[in-house]
Amino acid sequence: MRKKINFYLIEYAINAILRQKYKNIFIATTLTFLIFLLTSIFFITNSIKYELNSTVDALPEIVVQKIKAGRHYDIETHATEEILAITGVVDAVARVWGYYYFENAGVNFSLVGVDEFEAQYKESLQRVVETSELMNTQDSSMVVGRGVKDTMQKNYYKDYFNFIKPDGTLKRVDLVGVFDGDTQLESNDIIVMSKADVREIFDMRESMATDIVVKVSNPDEVATIASKIKLVFPDSRIITKNDLKISYQNIFDYKSGIFLALFVVSLFTFFIIIYDKASGLSSEEKREIGILKAIGWRVDDVLKEKFYEGFIISFFSYMIGVILAVGFVYIFQAPLLQNIFTGYSQLKTSFELPFIFDVQTLFLVFFLSVPIYIAATIIPSWKISTLDADEVIR
Amino acid sequence: MIELKNVTKSYEINKNNIVVALNDVSMKIGEGELVVLRGASGSGKSSVLSLIAALSKPTTGEVIVDTKQISKLPDNFASEYRRDNIGFVFQKYNLITTLSVKENILLPLVPLNPDPDDADEKLTRVMEMFKISHKKDAIIKNLSGGEQQRVAIARANVNEPKIIIADEPTANLDEKLSLHFIEMLKELKKLNKTIVIATHDPLFFGLDIVDREIEMHNGAII
Amino acid sequence: MILTPEVLAIFILNTIFAFFGIIAFYLSVKIYLNWDLSSTSKAQYRLEKQSYLAATIIKFIFIIKVPLFLFFVFTLDKISNVLTGAMCGAGVVDATDTGTALFVLKIINLYIFAYWIALHNEDVKHEKQPFLKQKFAFFIIAFFLFMAELVIEGVMFGSIEIDKMVSCCGTLYSSTSTSAISSIFALDTSLLLYMFYGIFLLIVVFYFLKNKYLFAISNALFVPISLITLIVFFGTYIYELPSHHCPFCFLQSDYYFVGYLIYTLLFLGTFYGLVVGFVESKKEDKLKSYKMSLIFNSLYVILLTSFVMIYFIRNGVWL
Repeated sequence: MRKKINFYLIEYAINAILRQKYKNIFIATTLTFLIFLLTSIFFITNSIKYELNSTVDALPEIVVQKIKAGRHYDIETHATEEILAITGVVDAVARVWGYYYFENAGVNFSLVGVDEFEAQYKESLQRVVETSELMNTQDSSMVVGRGVKDTMQKNYYKDYFNFIKPDGTLKRVDLVGVFDGDTQLESNDIIVMSKADVREIFDMRESMATDIVVKVSNPDEVATIASKIKLVFPDSRIITKNDLKISYQNIFDYKSGIFLALFVVSLFTFFIIIYDKASGLSSEEKREIGILKAIGWRVDDVLKEKFYEGFIISFFSYMIGVILAVGFVYIFQAPLLQNIFTGYSQLKTSFELPFIFDVQTLFLVFFLSVPIYIAATIIPSWKISTLDADEVIR
Repeated sequence: MIELKNVTKSYEINKNNIVVALNDVSMKIGEGELVVLRGASGSGKSSVLSLIAALSKPTTGEVIVDTKQISKLPDNFASEYRRDNIGFVFQKYNLITTLSVKENILLPLVPLNPDPDDADEKLTRVMEMFKISHKKDAIIKNLSGGEQQRVAIARANVNEPKIIIADEPTANLDEKLSLHFIEMLKELKKLNKTIVIATHDPLFFGLDIVDREIEMHNGAII
Repeated sequence: MILTPEVLAIFILNTIFAFFGIIAFYLSVKIYLNWDLSSTSKAQYRLEKQSYLAATIIKFIFIIKVPLFLFFVFTLDKISNVLTGAMCGAGVVDATDTGTALFVLKIINLYIFAYWIALHNEDVKHEKQPFLKQKFAFFIIAFFLFMAELVIEGVMFGSIEIDKMVSCCGTLYSSTSTSAISSIFALDTSLLLYMFYGIFLLIVVFYFLKNKYLFAISNALFVPISLITLIVFFGTYIYELPSHHCPFCFLQSDYYFVGYLIYTLLFLGTFYGLVVGFVESKKEDKLKSYKMSLIFNSLYVILLTSFVMIYFIRNGVWL
């Protein structure tokens, strides 16, 4: 089974490929393009997944929400005391936050409430509390993310913003700073203000909070603690960091699954095209095969040569496609394609896709391209190889 | 050495049209003999050559070469037999015009993955024998008719076959080149090759190197 | 239903395999029923050409199958990240009723396809193609196993539910669990080891005696005993943990992917051993198979024993 590589045959195969220049360039280009598209999508999702997982890592271990009639309700603030009593819980903080729909721009802002003397559950919020003017003023003020600032400015709000409260009245909040969060994905649409202000805008009672975040000392105990909390508060929904990670992976798999489905369709079309092109033999090609068989090439030899051709073309296209994808995604930051995955709201981020090297992705793309191409050439190659030399030479 | 026993070869063009190329033909060719098959086109000469080269199978009858029955060989083995024993010079040379002289000559050896030194030695030998060494890297389509013919003969000899077959070798050549060809045949005869030539070129008739002439007409020997 | 891109890729390739497999099956039946080497009819001539197609298809399937199997294992590993409780591929295999059966079937099919190719390679060396009918008859049977594998694979991936808890290898491969695998822990470890080294010794003996049938049989026996001792004994030395028996975990990067080497050596060694007994071939080819089998099996034994030895040398005690 360990024979020397037949360089003569490889050389002949390369020459044969070049002899059918136009046909092969067409095939190689199409294949390269498909591979490029597919690899780019995988690269983008891998990078975003990584970003997202980093985001999730920065989140609290456990989030406790109150559920009534299957829907998310405000939770009593004093629940934190009972949760703190559970062994293994280091901290439990009531969060006040929500989405504010700004009608003119058609976007959602995330309003996050902070209190001066409370330990913040996130570093970036801690920084905001410490470094900004937020706590120093008497009037209501806020610190916003870059995307928010731009949106507000576009709608002629420069130094302040008027929130419309649930009772219809306006609440003016002054803009005192712009901040960047830990990752760009999260900070773009955030507005940080005092908890009291957020409660006012959403008409939330002082004794209520949106949810409670819990910090545990031992991450491996999260599941146990989560079930204990559930025992104390049967009407709560517990979301752990792990759940989030899993759901992110599933969302991405779902989205890339859609693309894969599209890819399959185009692959199938491509399969047909290849089959057709490979079957269509010019009389010149037929003559060449006839010559080869007449001078002593066996059917197996011609088959081998045809497969060398197929492998060279598909592998070459694979390498070029992957390299182009690397350039497109990581150097040019994937214009257009990136938006398909990141765009939920108008406040699109322009963040840098981190370079993730994942061998499995490369293997995945390989399996989706090279074997399929070769499969498409099996029957045409066989037909060619079994041509009768006699008929061809005459 | 080569024997055809009651060979019939017919082609079915369609249901109603059957062409009989050879009709119950028998012949024997001894080792080292140079035999010329004479006859007009359609007489069946090319079919005989095709059968000896195991490029086609007889409809009935047997073809035996060197005590081996080659008429029923499976495709792979027929090719192997051809590769090891036959050097075929085609009427239209059948060279790959976009490759070089060197590449064309080595073509029969490619699937064997030969040792580079070995291949080189064989290459040099035939190129010198047929005086085409100086054009080693030239592309076929840039060569003259005579030069192409020399490449064709060199290729046919690169694997040192025992039998040389030529189908109308001088059909596309002028007299001068035809005589050149005959000179090359003399070289091959000296090496005790068995040579079978199908031709209706009168230059071959009565030649001293020809051991025997077999006349054919309408698929049978006269 | 779990539909990651990897799973989808496997499905696509399986569809292609099925399509071409059916063609090969159809041709195999035709050839088996009608092949007559002495005939000069057009039909026979066509059959000869078609036998090339069938052989090419089968070779293609095998060549892709091998890396695809590794990819399959990789995929199982990746899925284990989303399945609660699973920490490696073992959990995923256990997540469904069909997982273990699929795994075993895949390995059997690898042996079967490899055997077919060995038989085919030997067959085409002879003018009369003595094994022709035999090999296509064999493929006809193999085809059903192959299709079964594809179908079961689809069922398995289709029935994985991400919110259902599965067991980790820790519980699967322990003496206290109730799975079928746990019964092997009931056996005495030293007895198993005697059998393991004993059978290997038999392989060496029959190598020198050049008794092909006994050699092949001992190789066949070597497969199950190797796997069992790997799980029960050798695995623990790779993990350096007396309770860690999982045959999947050492395929991961934590253990430098040594699992792939282990299984490859075992497969090659035993496969060549089987070839010796079941494929008639020329003396020199047979000798080569004998040698290959001995070399790979020996490397396998040496590799596993060295894990044990290194642990002992480093720590002065056995696990």
